Amino acid sequence: MDDSDEALMARVARGDERAFREIARRHLPSMLGLARRILGNAADAEDVAQEALLRVWTHAPRWQPLALLRTWLSRVVVNLCLDRKRKAPWVELEAAGDLADQTPLADESAETAEREQKLAAAIADLPARQRAAIVLSYTEGMSNAQVAEILDTTVSAVETLLVRGKQNLRRALAPVIDEDKENE
Amino acid sequence: MNNEQFRSFLDRHGADPARWPSDQRAGAEQLIADDRQARRTFEAACRLDAMLTRHMQKNVNEAPSTARVMAKLADRLPRQRQPFWRLPAVLLDWQFAPAWPRMAALSACAVLGFFIGISGLDRSVDRLNGQSVSAGATGIGAVVFEPEPLTGARP
Repeated sequence: MDDSDEALMARVARGDERAFREIARRHLPSMLGLARRILGNAADAEDVAQEALLRVWTHAPRWQPLALLRTWLSRVVVNLCLDRKRKAPWVELEAAGDLADQTPLADESAETAEREQKLAAAIADLPARQRAAIVLSYTEGMSNAQVAEILDTTVSAVETLLVRGKQNLRRALAPVIDEDKENE
Repeated sequence: MNNEQFRSFLDRHGADPARWPSDQRAGAEQLIADDRQARRTFEAACRLDAMLTRHMQKNVNEAPSTARVMAKLADRLPRQRQPFWRLPAVLLDWQFAPAWPRMAALSACAVLGFFIGISGLDRSVDRLNGQSVSAGATGIGAVVFEPEPLTGARP
């Protein structure tokens, strides 16, 4: 049996719940990762991923395979994250508690962990669309054109988001970047 | 390209020359080779890129979250939304074959009605109806045209 995303979506469009669960099992980890990086906490990321998958189910009969399912899912997740950021105030990382990642940092030095925290805080302070552009660009390794497709904007607008986002990061992380230089 | 433009170029396309636009790559590489300030800008961009890549691609165990969401999705799924062109598609796909008994019954009724009509069997029924109406006309009229009890108005 053809188990490509397109074939599974055709089955989902006919109301096949098993095909839907297969799509969910296949794409859910990357959807969760993307949402968590944009939103900054795991609980909201779970809500967003669940809502995105329910949209896949309810809209499957209307889905047209014009783009890759993965791209379409990323677009749904990013839009839901941006909506959520517009509605809810940002929760500081310290207040948000630990992320889902609870693997021990035994092999990482305290300095590295501190640098990571500063970087996470600087990314969290970025405006939502700048953060989304940077997350898509560095997590998924997407080209600016692919990021533009997901953010439903132009390539030049994405480039502007990246330029402003990195300017903000450089300002916030100047000491950290200098430390990193000394460590090399 | 001056240093500020080069920094903007690096922000737009990243510090990996493989991702630079092919028509600008040679010029950017030449600038890095020739200009010390550009080289420092490039090195700073490489450090920021490396930090971001390391941070974004850090392995996070998504299994617990995945299991929680899959468990929530195991409940009853909502009704799917059908596209508006579904109805014409259903009509086009209509299979008429299972309807033949009803079509046969309708045809039989039509034939029976036709024979009743030409044989005159319906006339006696009409006569009977006419007689009963004339016989009971007074009683029906009294009921139907009786004055309205409260106002005394007649319809």
